[in-house]
Amino acid sequence: MSPIGRARWTRVKRALAALGTIAVLYGIAAEIGRDRLPRRIWLGVHYVEGVELLPPYRSLAEETEFLVQSGILASSIAVSTGRVLIGFLLGSAVGIFLGLATGRAARVEYLAEPWVTFFRFTPALALLPLYVVWFGYGEMSKVLLIATNVAVVTLLGAHQGVRSAPRVYLDAAAALGASRKLVFGKVVLPLAFPEIFASARIALGLAWVTIVVAELIDAKMPSLGYLLALANAYPRVPTMVIGIATIGALVLAFDTLALFLHTRATHWMRRTG
Amino acid sequence: MTSSDSPALRLQAVDLGYTYSGVTPTKALANLNLDVYDNEFLAVLGPVGCGKTTLLRIFAGFLRPTEGSVRCDRSSVDGPSAQRGYVLQEDAIFPWMTVRENVEFGLLAKNVEPAARRAVSSELIRLIGLSAFEAAYPKELSAGMSKMVEVARVLATDPSILLLDEPFGALDTQTRARMQDELARLWEQRRKTVLFVTHDAEEALYLADRIVVLSPRPGRVKAQFPVDLPRPRSFELRFSDGFSALKRQIWAALG
Repeated sequence: MSPIGRARWTRVKRALAALGTIAVLYGIAAEIGRDRLPRRIWLGVHYVEGVELLPPYRSLAEETEFLVQSGILASSIAVSTGRVLIGFLLGSAVGIFLGLATGRAARVEYLAEPWVTFFRFTPALALLPLYVVWFGYGEMSKVLLIATNVAVVTLLGAHQGVRSAPRVYLDAAAALGASRKLVFGKVVLPLAFPEIFASARIALGLAWVTIVVAELIDAKMPSLGYLLALANAYPRVPTMVIGIATIGALVLAFDTLALFLHTRATHWMRRTG
Repeated sequence: MTSSDSPALRLQAVDLGYTYSGVTPTKALANLNLDVYDNEFLAVLGPVGCGKTTLLRIFAGFLRPTEGSVRCDRSSVDGPSAQRGYVLQEDAIFPWMTVRENVEFGLLAKNVEPAARRAVSSELIRLIGLSAFEAAYPKELSAGMSKMVEVARVLATDPSILLLDEPFGALDTQTRARMQDELARLWEQRRKTVLFVTHDAEEALYLADRIVVLSPRPGRVKAQFPVDLPRPRSFELRFSDGFSALKRQIWAALG
C-alpha cells in the first residue's frame, strides 16, 4: 500500500473507532436510562405518555425497520440529497463566479463586501418567509434557500483565494511576459483553488444544515426535514435520532468524498506528515 | 577606449533614488549611477538592506524610480518585459506545475506552439541536468534544483538581459558553489547581459566581469572593481592569490 493509501486507511480506522465509541456510549446510556428516565413529559400544553428520551437500540432498530420497509427513509434521503446537490451546485457556481470576479476586480470589491458580511450570518430561517413569498411553495424556494447560503460562503472563499495569491508568483509570471488573462488562468486560479475548495466543503456541510429549514417550506413527505418535523409533533424520539443520524452520516460521506477530491486536486502541494 | 569600439550600453541608472512611502518613509536608494554594458556580467554587491533588491525591481519594471531614471537600451523602463528576464530572490517556481510546465510558461505567454515549446524546454532542462525530473513537481526538487529551474524558465524566452536577485542566497555553501558553476557554464554557452545582485563577495568575484559595491542604506555606488580573472573559472581559482587579493580589496570597500 502506498504511504498516502496507508495514511488514508489510518484515518478511516480512526474515524470508525471514534464513531464506534460514541455508539457504544450511547447504547450504555440508553440502557442505564431505560427505567430511570421519565416517560411522561410536559410539552407546554399537555402531558405526553410513553416517551423514550434516550431510545435504546432495540427501539431504534424497530423504527429503522419500519422506515426502511415502508420506503420512507430511502425516498426521504433521495429527495433531500437531490435538493442539497442542486442547491449546492447552483449556489457554488454563482458564489465562486462572483468571488473570482470581486477578487480580481479591486474596483467593484467595495460593492460586494458589505453584502457578503450582511448575508454571511443571516440564518436560513430568516430568509424563509421572504423566499416563500417570492418563489412560492415547491422546489424553487427550497433549492434557492440552500443555494443562497452556499453562494455566500463560496463567494467569500473564492474572493479570499484570489486575494491571497502570493505576490512572488504574480511578479514572476508578469516578468515572464504573461498577460492578465494568462496570469489569472494559470497562476491565480491554481493558487486560489485550495481555498475555494475548502469553502465549498464548508458550504456543503451548511447545505445539509439548511435542508431541514428548507424542507419546512410546504413540508410534504418524503424528506428528511419533514421527517424530523413530524417526529417533533408526536413526539417520536427514535425517529428524531434516526433522522439526525442519517443527516450526520450523509454529511460525513459527502465530506469524505470532498476531502478525497481535494487531496487529489492539490497533490502538488508540499505536505508534511 | 573610444566611443566607437566600446560595447553598447544596455542598462543605465541616472541619479536614481527610491523612497518607500509609509508612516516612516524609507530611502532605499539615493543618487545611484550605474551602467551595464552588452554581454557583461555585472555583480552588485552590498550589505543586507542596502537597496539591492529595490534596484533590481526598478530595472525589472516593478517599481518606478522616485528620483532620477532608469533606461534599458536607451528608452525608459515602464513595466516588466520578457526581454529582461528576472529571477526573484524568493522561491518563485510554480509548485502546481511540473518542471517542464514551469520552463515553458514564458513561451506559453508568447503563444509559442506546443512542439516548439517542448523543443526549447527539453534543451534547457537537459542543460541544467534535470532531464530525469521533467515531469516532476517542484516538491520533489531540492532548493538548488528549484532555483535552476527558475533560471531555465527565464532563459526559455531568450531574453538578452538577465536580472538575478541573490538566486543562491538560501543555499548552503557547497550547493551554492555548484550552482555558481552551473550558472557560469550556462552564461558561457548563452552570453547575456547579466545584472547579478548578491551580498556574497566570493560569489560576485567568481561570476562577474565587474563588481559594483553599494553603500549601506540609502544605497549608492561606493566602489567598482573590474574582475580580470580568466574564464572558465574553476574551483582552484577560489584559492588563488589574485582571487584573495581582490577579495581583500572588496571586503575593505564593503567596510
